[in-house]
Amino acid sequence: MSLDISFIGILIGSIMASSVPLILAASGELITERSGVLNLGVEGMMIIGAISGFALMVITDNLFIAIVGSMLSGVIISLIFGFLTQSLLTNHVATGLALTIFGIGLSAMLGKNFVGIPGKEFPILFSSLKESIPFFGPILFGHSIVLYFAFALPFLTNYFLRKTKLGLVVRGVGDSPVSASNQGINVILIRYCCILYGGAMCGLAGAYLSLIYTPQWIENMTAGRGWIALALVVFATWSPIKVLIGALIFGGITILQLHMQAIGFRIPVQFLSALPYLMTIIVLVVISRDSRKIKLNTPTSLGRIFYKEK
Amino acid sequence: MTTDLRISNISKVYPGCIANDNVSLQFKSGKIYALLGENGAGKSTLVKILSGVIRPDNGEVYLNEKNLKLSSPLDAKKNKIGMVFQHFNLFETLSIFENLSIDTNEDNKSLRVKINEILKKYNFSIDLDVPVLNLSAGQKQKVEIIRCLLRNPKVLIMDEPTSVLTEQETEELFISLKKFCDEGILIIYITHKLKEVLSLCDEVAVMRKGKVVSVSQTQNEKVETLANKMVGQKLAKIKKKDNISRNKDEIFKVKHLNFYSEDPFETNLVNLNFSVKKGECLGIAGISGNGQNELFQILSGEIITPDTSIIFRNKEIAKLNPKQRREYLMAFSPEDRISQAAVPELKIYENVALNNFKSSNFFEKGLVNERKIKEHSKKILSDFSVNTDNVDLKSQFLSGGNLQKLILGRELITAPELLICYNPTWGLDVGAINYIHETLIKINDQEKSTILISTDTEELLKLSDRIAVIYKGKLSKIMHSEEVTPEKLGVLMGGGSID
Repeated sequence: MSLDISFIGILIGSIMASSVPLILAASGELITERSGVLNLGVEGMMIIGAISGFALMVITDNLFIAIVGSMLSGVIISLIFGFLTQSLLTNHVATGLALTIFGIGLSAMLGKNFVGIPGKEFPILFSSLKESIPFFGPILFGHSIVLYFAFALPFLTNYFLRKTKLGLVVRGVGDSPVSASNQGINVILIRYCCILYGGAMCGLAGAYLSLIYTPQWIENMTAGRGWIALALVVFATWSPIKVLIGALIFGGITILQLHMQAIGFRIPVQFLSALPYLMTIIVLVVISRDSRKIKLNTPTSLGRIFYKEK
Repeated sequence: MTTDLRISNISKVYPGCIANDNVSLQFKSGKIYALLGENGAGKSTLVKILSGVIRPDNGEVYLNEKNLKLSSPLDAKKNKIGMVFQHFNLFETLSIFENLSIDTNEDNKSLRVKINEILKKYNFSIDLDVPVLNLSAGQKQKVEIIRCLLRNPKVLIMDEPTSVLTEQETEELFISLKKFCDEGILIIYITHKLKEVLSLCDEVAVMRKGKVVSVSQTQNEKVETLANKMVGQKLAKIKKKDNISRNKDEIFKVKHLNFYSEDPFETNLVNLNFSVKKGECLGIAGISGNGQNELFQILSGEIITPDTSIIFRNKEIAKLNPKQRREYLMAFSPEDRISQAAVPELKIYENVALNNFKSSNFFEKGLVNERKIKEHSKKILSDFSVNTDNVDLKSQFLSGGNLQKLILGRELITAPELLICYNPTWGLDVGAINYIHETLIKINDQEKSTILISTDTEELLKLSDRIAVIYKGKLSKIMHSEEVTPEKLGVLMGGGSID
């Protein structure tokens, strides 16, 4: 196989496509975690988004409704998490794990009748430019609208957190909910919003898989991407731009894995799939060497239950 | 324009405790008011009600005869009541500017101008763009005060503001508070430190067990009268018996104690030599940060220094760790009760079990002997009059005084030959301080020895038989306490010489 320049362009284009669900889910989870809430239900919310999107597409034959519906389903399922952790004060970790298990089971049940139904072609933008420009064509053009949105999202998230008042409030709530509450900020409301937003993004990430990336419904089709997205948030030390970089690296590993097998390069598949987690651990070890840095970057109240004095 | 704040018949009941019982008070601007009381007297509940954090069961608050409905912190802010909490309400990872801007609607530019005006007016120097976690406690407090000032407050409430400050920072705070007062801000100052009340405030209200027991002009009060009102009984005057330990054996001897650290926040210790006799209390005075932390850690075995010789009961123990030193009957009470001496999340009996000896049989074949530990803990609670008999209570729910009694009890119940304590009465109210002092004197009466490292000169003069001063990691000559006066100590603590 020749490694000519147009092939590399196509390769990069496919790496980008494979990183989209990671970017979406991780950006959503990043906002949730920045507000101090640790939602381990990413995988569950993604798979619910995947089946809802696909089912709605089959039923209504309308991709727009399918996409919006998948986000709504993510919102609804994250609302369960929000109600349990914020209103009933349950443990974040246990509730999040339960959400994932619940989501996987529920999606398998709902999806029974949708297995084997072919998906619908999702419109791609600038498809003519993709063919006509070598190298840059396949990178920049010929993608779905969701991909362009995903690549803009980390920058929007960064702007939101750094430059807007609401972003500052979210960071403040994640840093010290008690202080925020004493300053008159409605901590529970802010956290609910962040949880629901995270749910919507995870739902969209799932729909990307079942409607665009591999347009069909297969049981358990998220295949651990939710967990990688969670690892990615830590890998990125809660910074949106680094989420983008990390998603490209992790997405790249997935694609390389396929190509390496095709070339006959013998690296155990298991090692490659373990790589994102290994890299996350390495990053954690590196940033942990500087306690001040880890303190500055980590939402201080992450995963802690907030109880309002009465 | 004058401000007139009136609290009328405020009550707040928690399960098992009446925090505020029909409290009525009146304040007028132009004066600094003290709200004095022991830990748990209900001061903090009252100010939380004033700042809208919690709601009273009964009663009203009037500001300039307008009835305030304070159902959230926002209401207090709108009514220009500012509050600086004892535990700061800051966002550690956000910059100072972000901390100040998070709850305003003003645009960043004009806010910055406003903040800079305040900084200039009150001579505060703070870099606005560094994260709060880089600041000292005093600087953090200034950020809190600036946050209040930005809203042109009519009332400023300070909740035990000096508990985390150095003496220098305390002085600066008092100067600022007097300035605010002259500008017409009504100041309510919550504290349990009697001297601060007398030096800063014009009028004082004393609270005890949720009730206001007295309101008076501070000029008519003295430390003793206030203390008696606060505790509700006459405090016994403690005096140490003259110790005739001069000719007794040395039980503890330190030679060539040197410590060198590259960390700029640590103090190097230079050639310390001293000894302690049987039944004696050796006091080590000094302004905090002159090497006391390091000295305590070396004496307790947390830090092992090369070439140091520590002889205890005729054995060389310089290379032993804290647990091994304890087995030789040494005991330690560190300064920081919450993070060094006890684990706040653990229950009382679990904290007791942390100090386990071979002889205590707390553990058998790797299993916890819960019954035994609990019995032992109950004994500590009753012997050292800790205000609870529930050994399953989490330690974080004990007040500072009760926690310190528990820690001392844990250390002393094994009858150690030497107790080393560092600021044992830090942040405690007079009742608890009295108890701790009595306990420390009792130890000496029983022919056991103590090393008291403290920043409180009065405490040192009261308890020590001999005193040395530590300054920049060097120890002064050791003096007999009868030849020491507070003035002499002050000179030595400031780095001066008295010869």
